[in-house]
Amino acid sequence: MLFNSLGFFLFLPLVLAVRAALPPRRRWAWLLIASYGFYASFEPSGALYLAAVTLVIYGCGWGMERSPHRQVRVALLSAGLVIVLGLLVTFKFYDFVAGEIERAGAALLAADTTFRLPRLGVAAPVGFSFYAFSAASYLIDVYLGRLSAARHGGHVALYTAFFPKILAGPIERATTFLPQLGEGLRAHPEQIIAGAQLIGWGLFKKVVIADNLAPLVDRTFSIAAYATPIDLLVAVYFFAFQIYCDFSGYTDIAIGVSLLFGIKLMENFRRPYLARSTAEFWADRWHISLAHWFRDYLYFPLGGSRAGALRRYANLMTVFVISGLWHAGLGYGVGWTFMVWGALNGFYQWVRLATAPLRRWFTVRLPRLSASTLVYVLQVLVTFHLIAIAWIFFRAASVGDGVLILQKIAGSLAQLPSLLPRYPFTADHYLGFGLIAFLIFVEVLDEHRSIWKRLAAAPVVLRWSVYYAAIFAVLILGRWQMREFIYMQF
Amino acid sequence: MTNLRRSALLFLAIGLILYGAVYFGSERLVYRTGDSNPFYKIATTEDRAFDWVILGASHAMPLDFADFNAQMERETGLRILNLATPGTGPLYNRFVLERFFRRHRTRRVLYVLDSFAFYSTRWNEDRFADAKLLRRTPFDPALAWQLARYSLNDGVRATAVLDYIFGFSKINNRERFESDIWEGETTFDRVARLSAAADAKRIDYLYPDAVPDPAVFSRYLAVLETLIALAGQENAQVVAIKTPVPAQFYGKLPNEDAFNDAISDLLATENVAFHEFSREMDEPGFYFDTDHLNRAGLTAFFSRYLKAVLVGN
Repeated sequence: MLFNSLGFFLFLPLVLAVRAALPPRRRWAWLLIASYGFYASFEPSGALYLAAVTLVIYGCGWGMERSPHRQVRVALLSAGLVIVLGLLVTFKFYDFVAGEIERAGAALLAADTTFRLPRLGVAAPVGFSFYAFSAASYLIDVYLGRLSAARHGGHVALYTAFFPKILAGPIERATTFLPQLGEGLRAHPEQIIAGAQLIGWGLFKKVVIADNLAPLVDRTFSIAAYATPIDLLVAVYFFAFQIYCDFSGYTDIAIGVSLLFGIKLMENFRRPYLARSTAEFWADRWHISLAHWFRDYLYFPLGGSRAGALRRYANLMTVFVISGLWHAGLGYGVGWTFMVWGALNGFYQWVRLATAPLRRWFTVRLPRLSASTLVYVLQVLVTFHLIAIAWIFFRAASVGDGVLILQKIAGSLAQLPSLLPRYPFTADHYLGFGLIAFLIFVEVLDEHRSIWKRLAAAPVVLRWSVYYAAIFAVLILGRWQMREFIYMQF
Repeated sequence: MTNLRRSALLFLAIGLILYGAVYFGSERLVYRTGDSNPFYKIATTEDRAFDWVILGASHAMPLDFADFNAQMERETGLRILNLATPGTGPLYNRFVLERFFRRHRTRRVLYVLDSFAFYSTRWNEDRFADAKLLRRTPFDPALAWQLARYSLNDGVRATAVLDYIFGFSKINNRERFESDIWEGETTFDRVARLSAAADAKRIDYLYPDAVPDPAVFSRYLAVLETLIALAGQENAQVVAIKTPVPAQFYGKLPNEDAFNDAISDLLATENVAFHEFSREMDEPGFYFDTDHLNRAGLTAFFSRYLKAVLVGN
């Protein structure tokens, strides 16, 4: 039951209607039932993993809360994390690592010697990467005393299972989620309007932009060796916007649906391609809930930026490589490409750290130029292209493919002006470029002043015209062939 | 009533009006770009009575490519309406025939048989929900009702009914301005180079279940029986044929002999003539792809075999 399916648009009003008919103190139970029903619609057995993870964190959290002994609390935390994160690592990497060991063994051993390692052969439940991290954050927060272990098992279950966020986040913290359950799951009119707006905008980004860009991206990346440099260049640009609209579209719908139940989830994207540096991109604009998770539960415990220069470099690379590993399996299989993607983004942070004095010098010596629009635009463009280069490895079928794509594009940059006019652009290309231009236009407006505030202040005729235009664009131009969201596929 | 509710209702009302306008425009486009959809043909044909109605899947479609149907009509002096639809089995074809008989008559029905269409729900129940078919099917309340009955009685998905009634696939049709011509028709004059890999790919597509499920096969044989009975109630005689395919393609069809035996037994019981032409024309130049007759092949097939079937019955 994907967000972009008819089933979901029948499911959601039903859940809302029953919720409204129930007394506030019973609503969490209905929402929990609905969430498990939603999740089981993908794979009934997935609900068992979800229940198991919930029981583990509830039990460990309860034990940590009550135990006065530090060793017991550490043991409970460790046990909980090993189970939850161990399952995640096993699901993600066991079969891949087994295959790599076999390959390495085949290269080292005699030609007639073969060995096979057993395989799990079990497909991981959808969204496991996301609720495993939510569960881990619950355990750590309880251990550190940032959160009291919930007494209400049902509330903990709803925290892990809440259907709008279970497939692809945001990776919400229990510290902000659980207190909202005590408020009766009542939505204010402003929340309903904001929720509906976000659902509409999220759908637009997913089915109109992302899914219209996807076929061209898929086609080109599947034949990278035979594609022309312009094919590849277009596919790289399109993929940057496809993955953004796919993931942020999902998040917008998730946040919008949650608002209809009176629950506010955290912001997960803030116009990422307007970031002025890759550090800003990762820290404040792209998949914010994951970035904050890594910051709070990995980077800071490792010492962050306060453990000396060398440790800081090492910590940054560790975070980005692990982030790369976490992304493995999201839509494009598990492979070394994600390691390269993570390491490349970590390398960007190294370069940024190393050049910090130079940038400070530039800002001090040339304050007007450094604050000019020209420099701002240049920074945004450079950042976007660095991120787009990294995305090549995220999307490519192999590291070799990624390198080949980069080589082909780089090798033909000088000829681009003469090649472009002769390239057989199709209507689908023009539609893709038009949609990207429209998205950038909206995001630039939004960067200066919230698009929702602008709409709220606009005359009703203009406001409603925008809504109808968006709705009918979704109906007329959207691709509704049940294309999965990229980030929910693990 | 609160202001919010009033606004929401007004927004909804205006939205419905706009939706109606878009729906109306999309429906007009269906008529402007219509060509091969069987319901479009039924809705727009000026004749009420025919000598032959042709049913089946893609192997029957070349009989209506370009001007071939008119050519057959000229050479036989018969009125022929081709209602074949690509990738459809007996359930969909019975649905089409029921619709046809509501306002039209035919003396005979030529059913072009394909074994794949009897082995999977993909070519039967599931096919009703295919947006490619729904977006070209003109709206008709009686057809919506008929589809709803199929949903209740024959396992057609309710989403197909909703889609048809609300016209979503038409509104969302990416090829809304293009003519409804099946892609095969654009290569009708081509001569294909036979390829084992292409054959294997095509077989995998047509036969998604490697081993046909006997229960599924029996169900669609029963549906074929009801189709024959329906024709009988309307005093139309059914004739079944299988069109030629290249020998290398025929050799890869799974369980084809068993299919022929079962279908022959059923048709004999129902007193339906069955002409098996599958292996009659092996010339590679007669096909525009792995298994569909091109213009030269169809011309030869018509003159050698089909004309006799059409005129002789």
